Order: sequence, then C-alpha cells, then structure tokens
Amino acid sequence: MMRKSGKIGLALSTPYLLFALAFVVFPLLFSVYLIFHRWDGMSAPVWIGLKNLRRLVSDSLFYQSLLNTLQFLVIHIPLQIFFALIFAVGLNSIKIFRGFFRAVYFMPVVVSGVVVTIVWLQLYSFDYGIINNLLTQFGLPRVPWLVSTDLAMPSIAIMATWKNVGLYTVMFLAGLQGVPEEYYEAATIDGATSFQKFVKITVPLLAPTMTLVVILSTINGFSLFVEPFVMTGGGPLNATLSSVLYIYNQAFSFGHLGYASALGFVFALIILAAVLIQRKFLETE
Amino acid sequence: MRNRLSTFVTYLFLAVFAIGFLYPFLWMMSGSFKPDFDVMKLGLLSSHLTAGNYALVFDRIPVMRAFLNSLIVAVAVTGSVVVFGGIVGYSLAKVKWKGAKYLTVFLLFTMTLPFQLTLIPLYTMIVKFGLTDNLLGLILPNMMTAVSIIMFRQFFIAIPDSLIEAARIDGCSELGLIFKVVMPLSRPAVLTVAIITFLTSWNDVLWPLIVIRNRTLMTLPQLITVFVLGGEAESHLGAELAASTMLAMPILLLYIFFQRYFIQSFISSGVKG
Amino acid sequence: MLVKGDCIPNYRKNHGPLLSRLILVILAVAALSGCGSGSGGRSDKSGRINLVYWAAPNPQEIQLATQLVAKWNATHPDIHVEMQPLPVNRSTEEVLMAAIAAKTTPDVCSNIWPGSVPEYARAGAIVKLNSFPDFDSLASSRVGMSYMEQFESADSNYYQIPWKANPLMMIYNKKVFRQAGITKPPLTYSEFLADAAKLTYSSKGNGVIDHWMGYRDIRPVWWQRFFDFFALYKAASHGQSFTKNGKVVADTQAVREVLTFFGQCFEHDYFPRTYFSYDPFLEGVVATEFVGPWTISYIRSNYGGKLDFGVAPIPVPDNHTGPVDTYGDHKCISIFSTTRYPLQSWEFVKYLLSESSDLELLKVASQLPVRKDLLSISEFASFFQKNPDMKTFAEEAPYAHEVDQTPDQKEIFDAISQEFEKCSVYNKIGPEKATKELVKNVKVLLDWDE
Repeated sequence: MMRKSGKIGLALSTPYLLFALAFVVFPLLFSVYLIFHRWDGMSAPVWIGLKNLRRLVSDSLFYQSLLNTLQFLVIHIPLQIFFALIFAVGLNSIKIFRGFFRAVYFMPVVVSGVVVTIVWLQLYSFDYGIINNLLTQFGLPRVPWLVSTDLAMPSIAIMATWKNVGLYTVMFLAGLQGVPEEYYEAATIDGATSFQKFVKITVPLLAPTMTLVVILSTINGFSLFVEPFVMTGGGPLNATLSSVLYIYNQAFSFGHLGYASALGFVFALIILAAVLIQRKFLETE
Repeated sequence: MRNRLSTFVTYLFLAVFAIGFLYPFLWMMSGSFKPDFDVMKLGLLSSHLTAGNYALVFDRIPVMRAFLNSLIVAVAVTGSVVVFGGIVGYSLAKVKWKGAKYLTVFLLFTMTLPFQLTLIPLYTMIVKFGLTDNLLGLILPNMMTAVSIIMFRQFFIAIPDSLIEAARIDGCSELGLIFKVVMPLSRPAVLTVAIITFLTSWNDVLWPLIVIRNRTLMTLPQLITVFVLGGEAESHLGAELAASTMLAMPILLLYIFFQRYFIQSFISSGVKG
Repeated sequence: MLVKGDCIPNYRKNHGPLLSRLILVILAVAALSGCGSGSGGRSDKSGRINLVYWAAPNPQEIQLATQLVAKWNATHPDIHVEMQPLPVNRSTEEVLMAAIAAKTTPDVCSNIWPGSVPEYARAGAIVKLNSFPDFDSLASSRVGMSYMEQFESADSNYYQIPWKANPLMMIYNKKVFRQAGITKPPLTYSEFLADAAKLTYSSKGNGVIDHWMGYRDIRPVWWQRFFDFFALYKAASHGQSFTKNGKVVADTQAVREVLTFFGQCFEHDYFPRTYFSYDPFLEGVVATEFVGPWTISYIRSNYGGKLDFGVAPIPVPDNHTGPVDTYGDHKCISIFSTTRYPLQSWEFVKYLLSESSDLELLKVASQLPVRKDLLSISEFASFFQKNPDMKTFAEEAPYAHEVDQTPDQKEIFDAISQEFEKCSVYNKIGPEKATKELVKNVKVLLDWDE
C-alpha cells in the first residue's frame, strides 16, 4: 500500500519538482555562480572572484538605495498601521454601509500600481497638481512633493499607504470581528474607558495581524519598483532610487548582469535578516 | 445622545476618507474625457467632453493587442497555478508518502525567498531558452507557486479521508479524485488562489519590462508604462489618463461585481497582490 | 456518492501520457514561437549573396540609406543589400545587445556608438576591420591615422571605422544679442557669464525670470552629459582622455572648472532648472544652445529665414589658448561576426565610405562625413558655399573627440551625471568634492572591470 501511494505521490508532485528544478533551484545556483562573475549577457562570463562584493561595499548608490528603502519603511509602516487601525475600528463600530466603505477603502489594492502612480504623479505635480491647487486655495504654499530630495520618498510612502491601507484595514477588521464581545463587557463593568479598552484588549488581540502587516510591508518596501520607475526615475539626486530599481538599472541599462545578481543576493539576505529580526522582536513582545 | 454624536462623527470621518479613496479614480475617469486644458481642474465635470483622448491612445499604441496579451498570460498562469497547485497540494495532503514532508519543507523554504534573488538568473535563463519577446517567457516561470500549493494543502487536509476512500472504492483515479471531489469541495481555496494569481499576473510590470521588448507582445500595464514614460503620449495628460482608465477598468468591473470574493481572498491568503 | 463513472477510470493509464503530452505541446509551442530567424545575410538559390544593413531610423538617414542601397544594388547584381531601419523608440545599443545575445545581428550597421564598441569586441560580436588588407590605406587616406587613434581598441585593433561626426558648437540668437547691445558671441567662461547676466531677465518686470542665457536637460540621463559636461571638458582639457588602460587619467583641473562653470550658470538662474515642452531656442526664450550641425538643418527646414543666428565655438576657461576642442558625437560602421560574407560586407562598407556616398550624406542628411579632406574636395565645396554654417562646423571637425575606448562608458557617464546633478545643478556639494567623488567612483568601476 505504502509503495503504491509513494509512487502516486511522487507522480503527482513531478510537475512541481520539474518546475522547481528549472525555475527555483537552478536560478538559485546560477545566482551564486553569477556573484563571482562579470557578465554583460553577450560574451562569456568572466570569473572575478570577490570583485562584485568588493565593489558593492564601496558603491555609494548601493548604500543610498538601502537608506531610501529604510526611509520608506520608517514612514510607511507606522502610517499604515495607524490608519488601518482607526479605519478598522471605525468600520467595526458601524452597522449600515459597512460593506460599502470597506469596498471603497479596498479598491486601490486591486488596481494596478501603474494606474495609481500615473494618477498620483498628476496629483503631486508641483506647478499644476490637484493637491497644490487645493493648498493654494487655502492660502498655503505649494509643496514640492516629488521634486525635492527631502520629500520625494515620503511622498511615495504616502501614496503606497493610500494604495495598501485597505488591505490591512480588512485584515484588522477580520481580527476585530473575532474578538469576543464578553471581553469588552467585562472591561466596561470594571469601569474601563473606551481608550483603555482599545489599548488593553483590541491592540494585543490584533498583535499577530500587526506582525504580518510589518513583515509584508517590509517585503513590499524592498520590492518598490513601479512607483519610482514611473514617477521619478529614481531622482531627484537618487532620493527615490529603490533597491529593485537599482538592480534593474545595473542589469538592463548598464548590462552588468553579474553585479546586478550580486546586488540581488545581498538585498535578499538583508530582507531575510530584517524579517527574521522583526519576527523575533514582535513575537516576544 | 453621546452615542448618536459619536456615530455621526464616525460616519463623517469614514465618508471623508471614502472620498479620498474614490476621488483619484473618478478624477482619472472624468479626465480621460476632458481636453488637456480642463484636466487639471478639481471638478469632475467639463463642458468640453471628448473621446479624442481615447482616439489618440488607440492611434498610437496597440491597446487591444496588449489587452489580449495580458488576458492570455493571466488566464494561462491562473489556470496552471490552480490545476498544478491542486494536484501537488493533494499529493501533500492526502497521499501518504515519504516525500510529502520534505517537499512541504522545501515549499515553505522557497516561500521565504525574496524575488530579488532569482530575478537576474531567471532572466538569463529566459534569454538562453530564446523566450524573450515571447509570451511563454511570461507564463512559464509563473506556472506554479509555492504559496498556492501550500494553501491547497492546508485546505485539503480538512477534507475527511472517508470521503476520499469512498470515491477511490468507486473506482475513481487520483486525478479524477482531485478534480471531481477535492477541488469542488474547496471552492473558497480555488477562488482565493485564482483571484490572487490573476491579479498578480495582470498587474505585474517588472517582469514584462524585462522579458518583452516587442510592442505587439507587451502586456497592457507594460505598454501603458512605456506609452507614458517613452514620450509617445507627448505629455497629453488626457491621453495618459485614458490609457490608465483602460488599464484599470477590467479589474475595477470585476471588483465591483465580486468585491466580497476579492476581499475574502486577500484576507485568507495574507499576501499582497 | 459524489463521483460515479464519469471519473477517469485508471490513473496510470491516462495520467502519464496526459502530462507528457502537455509538456510536449508546451515545448513545441516554445520552439515554434521562440526561434527567431537570424537577420544575417545568406545566399539564395541563384547564388546571389544577400547582405543585411541596419541604418539609423530617422527620416533623413532612412532616405539616405535607401538611395545609397538602391545605387549599390543597381551596380552589384551578385551582392544584394537589404536595408533595415533600426526600430524607433529603442536605443541602438539596446537593440544590438539583444541581437548579439540572440545571434541575430546584421552584416553591417552604420549607427554604432563608439562607447559600446569595447563591449561588442569583448563579446566577439564584431569583426576586426584591420584584418582586411586595404583597411590601413583606407583609414589613413580618409580619416588620417592620428584621428583614427581614438577609435583604436585596447588590444590595438580596429573594430569600427568612423563614418560621420556632429561636432558640438554653440549657436546664439543674434537678434537677442543685438538687443542687449552685445556685438560678438562669448568665447570664454567670463564672457559667457557676463553676457548671461544681461540676457537672463524677466520680460514682464515682475521678477519671474522668463528669458535665459541657455538651458540643459537636467535629468540625470547619462548621454545628456555628452552635450554639456563632456564637450566643455574636452575643450578645457585640450582633448585629454578621461580613462585609459584601466586608470583615471582625467584632467581634474578641467573637471573642476567645467563643474564650476555650470554651477554658476544654474546658481544665477542663467540656466533654468526646469524643462520645456517646446524648443526654447527657436522661440527666442533662451539666447544660446550647444548643438551639432543636425540642429542647423532642422532650424533651416522649420524656421528658414525667420531666425537670425550665428555659430561659435563652445566656451572655454579664461586662460585657454589654442584651438577649441569639442565632442564629436561620431557614428561608426562595424561588420558583425555573424556575417557569412565578410569580404563582400567590407566591399559594401567601402562603398558607404566613398567620396560619392559622402556627398550624399552631406546633401541628404546634412551630416559631416569623417574625412580629413572634407574642405578640399571640389565636389563638396559647392555644398559648403551654399551652407556657410555647415562650413563652420566642418572647420571644427578636426578638433572633435570621442568617448574613450574603455568598457562601461554608459556607467562612467552615469557617474558623471550624478556629480553634475549634485554639484552643478543643485549645488549640494562643491566642485572640489564632486571632482574627488567622480574620480573615486570611476575608479571603483574600472577596478571592478579589470
């Protein structure tokens, strides 16, 4: 019996095993190979030992893209958790139109990032954008959203929050609906204020969801590509150069496939380390 | 009294943000029908409504062809991910064999791999296979995903073994079991995997930008990115918005009709599209 | 109870073939749609040799190439050339890189950017032209060996031969200059900046500047630096190379001077930090522009007679002596290794480089062939008589330089672009620091590629 089912199991898994061999295992091994090679995609790869990594260590754009990603995360994650939480609490406390609001808030999540960036590029425009238009009507000065080195990345982080906050709102909402009513009732009898109830009951119960939000946002932040690619091209002064955009430039603008692969490898290690640290830190809290 | 006031404030708060989420889309759609000099106005209405922007887009870029390309790729990828995800998920959940444990561990491991790691090697493979400028270059590397297999596995485990044994005794083959018994019982999982996979494929830009260079083979988001960035739109804002509207519309229409399933899929998968 | 006879009865009997059939179908489709046919030349049944020639995609050059190829085919029944314009919307380098990887390169291409030749040569994608016995005599008689040197690769071979040049000069709006009481174009940085102070102003008198001395595309696009930093660097350094044999040999004094000069242009708003959706020089909004001769023919065809402009060399540091070197924006001809008919391809290349073809190049495309006798050939003289501006450019041609024959030119120019943006455009760091950073960053690149 076991022998027969062993064959069946293997047979049924064969398509994936072949697929994984071709599209997971081989690329993984090849990426390790490429780290030690210089390759322009045209001529044969040249063994250069640790030169790619040595270059990476003294590559100011590598550090810049890493710092940019950090800046993005530092703004994006708290903003996202804050708004997703109040939206979820708000939605949880109403009865009519809840489905409608939920659907509206979630809408940007399903729409292509290209659409979102094209539209926001216009909203953010310095000279004639809708947002600055509104600001000047209230007598406020125009804000150089995407054209200032200090504001470009925060502006992209705000846009990304707008796009993704719906996802985390519905996740929190699902978490909130799982909280037994008795918890709150008991707290009310003990004389807790609604704020105390929020901090003492709601937040701890949503902690697993929050861990997920932080980890997904981190991966998301390191995957940033379309937004700077369409909106800023990585500028001004590389302020929005993201890690993936830098890999893309190295590989496809300059034809340095080996070096791009090394960058990808190091960024992947950083992402894995960041996720592990976050998990450890957040789960023990 | 206090309760009523707080309900009112809650609704007001939610409504203000709802406008914040809706307005950019409405502005985009109305702007796609406005002449350039009217687009940048706050209001959504214009006295000069025109279809000229759409005419310009259709004139400059092969939109219908790109739509078709996107559809072919997304449908092929989704179909394959569901079918193979179901087959492999079943072999992990319901077939008792030694490899199941190792394969599950391997799948969980590949799920942790950031895509940055294999982006360049994958590209070079596609080049070696001669699959650049070929829709297969977009389909093949996405034909199966570890996430979908694991999701199916989790769902299938909950299906009672007795049901499967009964079908086996009735002379049903393993493949028949999967597609006639297990999958129909797992509609939520199938829907979740299908929706997420379809959206991910439809909205992807990075991989098409790398693999496809021939305009007639570009996917819709890629073509529109190139249209806006490459200067073919010649800063005609209305045309850019018309192109974006065409890109957003298919997904938005699906979303309006099936939003419950969309939202449920995202909640249960815990992945970003 | 859920399933009955409609199930596939036997797993092993059907499943295996089903899957393998599926895989077969996928592979077949992949093979069918995946194999692009090589574009390289082949001979057909009649024994006639077919060559493929890629030309630049702009209308004038397509017209030129069509004419030249028609003439060649009429006189060479045994060697047929097919002209294919390079695809629009994509850079030649990108197209060639993809073609080299896929081995679908043409036999001959005349739109080769010299900066990418070291990489093509390293990939073995292009033919050593000096392996043809009459290469040396052609190169020395047409171009001259001292001028050829900048196209020599690191391994002392020639993989390209320069075809045409667009030496960069400064055009200035004579009317605007006259109105400000300036009688001659500025030659040095001080003169340029002094004139700029007069020619940059607010026409409405409300303090919002709407007329400028000049403008440059300020986005960090690497090739834009050919037309500002690099040209002025070549002038300031008397044509000094930037890199050589894996070392940075740049004249850092000149780098600093050029960065400082542009820094002053942007700091005092003589150059705006925006970009225009129209041509500001043609509209009289900017007084000067750095251009090649192709702009002259463009202005002449679109604004013939309406715009009173003059041509002058690009500005140089105040203590500069001697001729003004500049950037040449050369395009070269190469033969690809995929060719099966190198000798016939070489014959065609020689035809493209002949005196009669060069006359067509002048007349049809208004571009300057790279030849040392440009001004002394009598057939050309009548053209220059009718086009005195083109003559000015032709006189500048001997001082036109090209980028270095070292790999990674794109990235070196990207590094230049980064410092230009940081220092000159946005004034975030001083020229001293920018020069140091530039040298350091280029060194990192060269060490990596050694």
